[in-house]
Amino acid sequence: MNKLASSRPKTIDQVKASLPKRHLSEKVFRSIGLISIIISLMFLFVLFYTIVSKGYTAFQQTFIQLEVNFDERLLDPEGTRHRDALSTADYGGLIKASLSKLFPEVTTRNEKRLLYSLVSTGAAYQLRERVMDNPALIGQTQQVWVPVDDEVDMLIKGHTLRDVPEAERRLRDVQIAWLDQLEAKEKLALKFNTAFFINGDSREPELAGIWGALMGSIYTLIVTLILSFPIGFATAVYLEEFAPKNKWIDLIEVNINNLAAVPSIIFGLLGLAVFINFMSFPRSAPLVGGLVLAFMTLPTIIIASRGALKSVPPSIREAALGVGASTMQAVYFHVLPLAIPGMLTGVIIGMARALGETAPLLMIGMVAFIVDIPSNILDPATALPVQIFLWADSPERAFVERTSAAIIVLLGFLFVMNALAIILRKKFEHRW
Amino acid sequence: MATRLEGHTFRRFDGELARLHTEILQMADLVYDQIQMALESFQQQKLDIIRVVNEREPQVDAMEKSIDNTITEILAKRCPVARDLRVIMAFSKLVTDLERLGDEAAKIAYITTTLYNNEHSNPSNYLLRDITVMGKFACALLKEAIENLDILDLERAEKLLNSHDDLDEEFQSSLRRLATYVLEDARNVGHIINIVLVMKSLIRIGEHARNLAEYVVYMVSGEDIRHAEIEQT
Amino acid sequence: MTDIAKIAQPSNQIERRKGDRRKHTRIHLSRATVSRDNRRTVGEATVSDPRIHCTDVNVFYGDKPALRNVTLDIGCQEIIAMIGPSGCGKSTFLRCLNRMNDTIECCRVTGSIMIDGQDINDKSIDVVPLRAKIGMVFQKPNPFPKSVYENIAFGPRIHGLAKDKVELDEIVVTSLKRTGLWEEVKDRLDQPGTSLSGGQQQRLCIARTIAVNPEVILMDEPCSALDPIATTKIEELMDQLCTDYSIVIVTHSMQQAARVSHRTAYFHLGDLIEVGTTEQIFTKPVHQLTEDYITGRFG
Repeated sequence: MNKLASSRPKTIDQVKASLPKRHLSEKVFRSIGLISIIISLMFLFVLFYTIVSKGYTAFQQTFIQLEVNFDERLLDPEGTRHRDALSTADYGGLIKASLSKLFPEVTTRNEKRLLYSLVSTGAAYQLRERVMDNPALIGQTQQVWVPVDDEVDMLIKGHTLRDVPEAERRLRDVQIAWLDQLEAKEKLALKFNTAFFINGDSREPELAGIWGALMGSIYTLIVTLILSFPIGFATAVYLEEFAPKNKWIDLIEVNINNLAAVPSIIFGLLGLAVFINFMSFPRSAPLVGGLVLAFMTLPTIIIASRGALKSVPPSIREAALGVGASTMQAVYFHVLPLAIPGMLTGVIIGMARALGETAPLLMIGMVAFIVDIPSNILDPATALPVQIFLWADSPERAFVERTSAAIIVLLGFLFVMNALAIILRKKFEHRW
Repeated sequence: MATRLEGHTFRRFDGELARLHTEILQMADLVYDQIQMALESFQQQKLDIIRVVNEREPQVDAMEKSIDNTITEILAKRCPVARDLRVIMAFSKLVTDLERLGDEAAKIAYITTTLYNNEHSNPSNYLLRDITVMGKFACALLKEAIENLDILDLERAEKLLNSHDDLDEEFQSSLRRLATYVLEDARNVGHIINIVLVMKSLIRIGEHARNLAEYVVYMVSGEDIRHAEIEQT
Repeated sequence: MTDIAKIAQPSNQIERRKGDRRKHTRIHLSRATVSRDNRRTVGEATVSDPRIHCTDVNVFYGDKPALRNVTLDIGCQEIIAMIGPSGCGKSTFLRCLNRMNDTIECCRVTGSIMIDGQDINDKSIDVVPLRAKIGMVFQKPNPFPKSVYENIAFGPRIHGLAKDKVELDEIVVTSLKRTGLWEEVKDRLDQPGTSLSGGQQQRLCIARTIAVNPEVILMDEPCSALDPIATTKIEELMDQLCTDYSIVIVTHSMQQAARVSHRTAYFHLGDLIEVGTTEQIFTKPVHQLTEDYITGRFG
């Protein structure tokens, strides 16, 4: 016995001998994990930094203060105060008059054109709106802040450099000189860019806003939600709780899993062929977009919901069946309440994917330039990610910062939706 | 067919049962030895052996206590059921019979001393002849019963229980014979009373031997055949 | 005969009578032990007034037989225990009795299981009333993740056993009192059932079952997840309940079967080997396999 024990090395010694190697491999593995996390965080940081640093300036816009004389002769020569007359009046003339008053030395036609181009074309619309709102303004003189042209905006914000040779920039030296004078007189100021949030798309960057795209996205998502939520839920519940186990059901399951992996542009093609060509739904409408995105998110929702249902312990079903509940009652009263948080998470993640989806929307024409803000699901509309795509394509320098700003808004929405998913899950889980 | 007590998946239980079985057998052997020695001394007037019998009597009692203790332990720790339970219950009962057998030996030893340690003459050999015959029968019965305690054979136990009751028959005829001796010579009465008492002991030894066989039947088959005759009527 | 002989007479006669009887007592040991190879059920599988009457029940999982030719009666007001090694089919048999095997896809049951003159395997039988009649308690306490009150009220509610809230309250209170849980939980009826201790949860499950007022209660190893004190409480509860219900309990603890049941059935590899009163099974089992199992001589 003793001999046997002594001839064999003690277990503890063998364990000790192997310990350094084990500790080392554990350390290596842990550091690999840590490094990967750091790298991914770095990428994330770089992404956010680039977007935010490029985009935050878009939330501000340079305004110019003009002393506008709402001259009755120019606006309403007949003095009728008729709305038609007021809306067609020459508000651009008011701006030009005020600018000329600021710089009386500008006389040549060419220089005047340069001077007038400093102010955004949208300034005239702004004045018109003021007058339409309050016709009593006519005849008065007021200090009005109006947006400047996007090139001026870029210069003030420092995106356009002054030391570039004159031929290579859009602003002439003389224009910069005027701007310096205005700045010295504190006639130029950066203000919060309300237009960005309440306007539709525009060719003029200083007038372009995301509200139209946002509404398009919201309408699209509402259609998607209304379709995919009940269908996805019902499918998942049927497949998980009621379906017999046979090869047809297996086939359906395999196909659902495959659909989740189909590239989204294929769904766009499907939408184009079926809804627009075959069923003649309006092009560019959130209805069609919603239908297509519903197709796309259904597999995601079904798979996530089935996972949530699967994770409900079978003992709960047995307990319900054991006291004589029908399958329906067992599912409705006991399984669903437990699965709902997981199912909702699946839905919201599906929705978030739909919100960020571009490719299928391109196929059904939601990529058009649409200035008007859609008011229902049949109006032509575009969506946030498509708007970003469109702006990223535009040549104007000012659209660069607007693209980033739109991305910030989109990310914000995604963030809110994910937070909502977490809050909902927590709320339902905490009920018991 | 002999009965196996071992074969438990938890082997220590086997060991505990085997230890109990051995203790029972040791006690049975001791008791058998005591009875034989007491009888021998009674028949051959060997008073020195009586001393040995008396000295070993507490040993029998001690063994009974030790066995009871072992049984309590096993009951507490193993919660035996079925055959294990029957074996242990039978052992627990049977140890009482063994202790009684020891008492009978002591009784015979006591009668022996009173028989020989008095002013009267020793009993004549023809008075003791019946004891010899009955003693032989009783010892044979007990030996068979004790041997069967070792192997726990149902058939042997059955055979023993169904065997002709020679002891009882012998007792009946001896009583008649002894009665005639009393009539012949009234002075024999003292001896004959003692002799009848020893005979009674021998009868009881036979009964205890049968009890042992009954316990073996119970252990092996689960059939409780004690007082079977009363149940039948 | 002399005087002395006469005096000796009475005792003489007593001795003789006893001796005579001894001589004529023939021991016949009819209960020979049944060998291990015999797989037919031994013992009394039927009772005179059965609540459930099973004849030749076979269960297959796919092609694999899990239970072969089981004929067994469940009597009224009795606790019958099913014992046997794992995979012997005792749980399968239990789940046949309220058709819980329906939830397993490839499971097929043949033979007849009669309750109140109906075969429960009949296609026309609706499992909902069947399961209301034959309640079940599971191995792991599985209260619904709802309040204590809701746990018990669920069954009566779906079966429409209570006309109004007052009646429902009464059923809940009665069920809790019968299971001895009332004193322990009366102040926290609105707290989740899962917040109770293991033993309380299991008693809650039993209360939930008896709230539907079944005729038979099936228990699938109800104490295997509980400590000894909780186990004792459940056993006492079963003893109380068996005046009103037939209880079928599957248990791995032979001691538990011995403690609570009136009859015991031993299953071995899909065969019902032996049925008998619990006293008989645990003192003198007839079948060698039964004895091997209960004395711990398996393998």
